[in-house]
Amino acid sequence: METMLSVKNLGKSFKDKQIIKDISFDVRKGEIMAILGPNGAGKSTTIRNIMGIMYPDTGSIEFQNSNGKDIPRNKIGYLPEERGLYKNVNVMDILLYLAELKDYPLDKAKERALNYLKKFDLEGKDKVSVEELSKGMGQKVQFIASVIHEPELLILDEPFSGLDPVSQELFKQEIRSLAEKGTAILLSSHQMNLVEEMADRLFMIHRGQKVIYGTMDDVKTQYANFKCAIHGKNAYDDLVRIPGVQRVEQEDDKSILYLASDIHPASWLKQLPEQLVVQELTIDRISLHEIFIDIATDKNLLQEAGELHA
Amino acid sequence: MRNTMKVAKWEIKRNMKNKTFLIGLFLTPILILAFGFIGSLFGGSDDAEHSPTTVHVNDQTGIYPALEETINQSDLDWEMELTDIEETAVEPILETSDNTAILFINDQALETGIVPVYTSNEIDQFFINQVQVLTTPLQALKIEQFGLTEEETASLLQGITFEEITMEDAAASEETAEEAEAGLGADPMERIVPGIFAGIIMFSVIMTGMATFQSASQEKKDKIAEIILSSLTPSDLMQGKIVGYFVLGIIQVVVFFVVLLPFAVWKLDIPIMEYLLVPETLLLVFIAILSYLMFASIFVGIGATMSDITTAGNFQGFVMMLPFAPLVIMGPVFKDPSGIVAQVGTYIPFTAPGVLIMRLSTLEQWPWIEIIISLIVIMASVWIFMKLAGKIFKVGILMYGKNATPGEILKWLRA
Repeated sequence: METMLSVKNLGKSFKDKQIIKDISFDVRKGEIMAILGPNGAGKSTTIRNIMGIMYPDTGSIEFQNSNGKDIPRNKIGYLPEERGLYKNVNVMDILLYLAELKDYPLDKAKERALNYLKKFDLEGKDKVSVEELSKGMGQKVQFIASVIHEPELLILDEPFSGLDPVSQELFKQEIRSLAEKGTAILLSSHQMNLVEEMADRLFMIHRGQKVIYGTMDDVKTQYANFKCAIHGKNAYDDLVRIPGVQRVEQEDDKSILYLASDIHPASWLKQLPEQLVVQELTIDRISLHEIFIDIATDKNLLQEAGELHA
Repeated sequence: MRNTMKVAKWEIKRNMKNKTFLIGLFLTPILILAFGFIGSLFGGSDDAEHSPTTVHVNDQTGIYPALEETINQSDLDWEMELTDIEETAVEPILETSDNTAILFINDQALETGIVPVYTSNEIDQFFINQVQVLTTPLQALKIEQFGLTEEETASLLQGITFEEITMEDAAASEETAEEAEAGLGADPMERIVPGIFAGIIMFSVIMTGMATFQSASQEKKDKIAEIILSSLTPSDLMQGKIVGYFVLGIIQVVVFFVVLLPFAVWKLDIPIMEYLLVPETLLLVFIAILSYLMFASIFVGIGATMSDITTAGNFQGFVMMLPFAPLVIMGPVFKDPSGIVAQVGTYIPFTAPGVLIMRLSTLEQWPWIEIIISLIVIMASVWIFMKLAGKIFKVGILMYGKNATPGEILKWLRA
């Protein structure tokens, strides 16, 4: 797959504080690449550096088909995290203005705008003033604005924040279909469930540094070990002694056993001690969501897994 | 440049579709017109109360036709007529009438040189000054009685005046003798009309220049800056705003003149178009445009440092007042257009355009060296302020929800 954007060893500090450090990844044609991380991890800073809104202290950003250092602005669509629209203008005017800024032909832009408005349930709103739109409608218009000029690279910073589930689904489908049509998509989010379903590859960032980088499948098999939740009063020591258990978390009568990556669930279940009190038992993989929370709260789940694989 | 024009076009379009802007566009000249009209209504009623002064002349010397001619030549609002009222009978007449005077011109008056004038209680306050115009024909008559020729009489009546000529004037008068001759009868309006024209342009474009402030801070408030800046550079955006609002200012000026000029030409007895279409107007308009560029870039830069005018700090408030600086020293400048205040004002960037326009409208002789230095000062500051505003704008426009402190602004400038 063609690489549309590659970021190498990006670093940026404000005053003495290093916001991001040694960030490297690339975005390829037709894939959805996700940047994940808790609030303040440096996602938006990374994206702003890519868009040339900030200038990195170190590292380089390269766009495909771009000569030299210039950012090919007309081929990029950008939906910033901090976003809004001019208030006292109508929807079509602002969409056409933004398309014009990208040098996109106006007649085509108008046609695409009408199609998208229809797709996003905003049919007939093209002559409505922006200030009359609800927040969700406004977000949809902003999304349309970012894709109206058929960008080759689409950068979406927290596209789902503030959307209801129906709209989220709509956005998800649209983003996926854009990727299928060959758009390279860089998406930042902290909504793990959505990212888990959509992204082809992910880059997890915490405190400005890389934590995980790889394809979704790799990450899942590599990091998402099994965990076993048991309801019932059991002694901590008994649980820790069970083979294959790396770590135990206990809260009231509920215990969560984090298992080593090489265990086989069925055979592991067989060798559970008989004196174990089990009112309810579930076994499943650690979700991306949990990995994320672990990282954000500085637990060592990932480190354990990582060390094991290192 | 292309992106700049796109932004400019958008700003123009956006405002031209905005009802508030459109109302303001037409309301300003109409208000001015309305106040002017109301003013003239009051003026008119004043005139109505003002009745002509009736002057009865008891003439026993036969000079009346000469007096009548003198009065006709002056613009005095007099109704003069001959009478044969006796000096003893004037009291009842004057008691019953207003604005009336009775003159007694007889041999005795000519001999003593004192003409008795009886006036009613209420009379034009300037009457006693006005009546002095009659001295000339009376003196002429007196001299004629001595049997001098008409030429001798004229020579005598001319009197003697002293004229002061300094060395400077002497030199200047040689060069501009011709000009001075023409200038002697020149209407001061000839200079003032282009000045007023440039003043109106300056006023309108500075008002719209203040709108660049509004526009930049709106950009922050609406959080659209980052979307826009993904398509163009901050300097494109800033320049686009400056150009766009300049055109809006010019539109305002055009509307101004389309509405006001016909009335001005109709109401005022000045050949406005003739005075306006002179090369001097170009220079004055050029100064007005420079001053727009300066203030617009200052405002757009300051606008980028805050999201709302209501949260403006003292510093920003102070900057907003800068265009009004010339008004503060307007009094001394008009009083003495070559005085020290006027000269200093010509060299301070913020006051220079305003003061220059004021001075050039009132000065008969343009001080070219001062004008050129002042233009250089203005152009240099336009360039500097545009650079500085660019730096502030670039950082400020993306700082959402927070106003910049003067300290921070200073830091951006150094960066």
